[in-house]
Amino acid sequence: MNAIEISHLSKRYGSSVAVDDLSLQIPSGTVFGLLGPNGSGKTTTFKCMLGLMRSNAGSVEYAGQPLAPASFEDIAYVPERSVLYDWMTVAQHVEMNRRAFARFDPSLAEQLLTRFSIDPRKRVRALSKGMRTAVMVSLAFARNAKVLILDEPTSGLDPVNQRHVLGLIVNEAARGNTVLFSSHQIGQVERAADRIAVLERGRSILTGQVDDLKADRKIVEGVFLDGTTDITAVSTDPRVARVDRTERIVRLLVTSGADDMAQRMTAAGATGVRVLDLNLEDIFFYAVSPADATSDSASRSIAS
Amino acid sequence: MPAVLTVDPGSGVPIYLQIIEQVKRSVALGVLQSGEQLPTVKQLALDLTINPNTVARAYRDLERDQVIETAPGRGSFVRQNGVEANVRAAATDVARGAVDGALREAKSLGLTRADVRATVDLALDRWFPEER
Repeated sequence: MNAIEISHLSKRYGSSVAVDDLSLQIPSGTVFGLLGPNGSGKTTTFKCMLGLMRSNAGSVEYAGQPLAPASFEDIAYVPERSVLYDWMTVAQHVEMNRRAFARFDPSLAEQLLTRFSIDPRKRVRALSKGMRTAVMVSLAFARNAKVLILDEPTSGLDPVNQRHVLGLIVNEAARGNTVLFSSHQIGQVERAADRIAVLERGRSILTGQVDDLKADRKIVEGVFLDGTTDITAVSTDPRVARVDRTERIVRLLVTSGADDMAQRMTAAGATGVRVLDLNLEDIFFYAVSPADATSDSASRSIAS
Repeated sequence: MPAVLTVDPGSGVPIYLQIIEQVKRSVALGVLQSGEQLPTVKQLALDLTINPNTVARAYRDLERDQVIETAPGRGSFVRQNGVEANVRAAATDVARGAVDGALREAKSLGLTRADVRATVDLALDRWFPEER
């Protein structure tokens, strides 16, 4: 069962396309990390999902149902920018949420605020950017929602408080709830998320389980001392997503079958063949950078 | 339970494989003994701040490999039956991974089967002198 299903979602601002035919399935109970460079459409996607912005095409369903007032209780959202009222105290925001949401737990909100060392008597005006994030996070996690949509929920927070937020996300997943969150801190996504999608120019260019991506995606590296060796037979294999070649070293990004590709590289005459693991940051980096932007000579003809 | 397990989420090795390897290693070393309880999925996820589904995946594979067993509602335990075989299998698993990596490296450096055999024989003499 998918907690969230986004189908063919599109959003244009004038002539620029922010979200481009985006489809994502987010299974119930998963922590889904949305990665992407600035301007790749993450925030616009969240806003369209929540009805805060009208999409041009496509649909979003929660547990098989379109967004409706009845489902607002089940969905908590932390926006990228503060939506708190400057002139109100933190305690007044807690009270406001208690009145607005039936399952909101004020004592849990206070516990969470204490954990972030926030004095509820303070006015929002007096809080730093990170503390405002912490207030919004505390209010969202006190909602007892089934689905949490968090747009940069650790921005501006110090490392200890970032870890608190990750702990809260892990705890929600352990309770069977679903979390969709975006972050530029790939290490956080790598910890908390079991699935990810990478957005670029409003499209999903890579999605899957983090551990499967790590198990499948490898760099196969080999040394060809004779720079004229023709490796086309190896480099054109469908499992090769990218070829980087310098004078004597060939590096293939393979999407599966690394051991087999290593053997084929050896058979093609390579020495010192190695299979290198990729962490999520590497995987992200390779997904969003074209080969010739990162290699000094990738465009050089293989057989030249 | 003190942190018997640690993971490096930033490594390129899948987290669930890191957990499996560590539990097997701990069983092989006797750090985890037969009948001993593992942290629950939720507890380990919270302790390490990692995804609970990832922990559950590791536990499922450990059950399949008969290293642990899970009693619904009570938790996961290192298996009692056939502990000897399990320990040996776990140790063999860990060793196989290391040997595999070493042989791959040797091959990629251009060594022949005979070269590698000589190297392995030397290492065996060094580490298992009593069984010569």
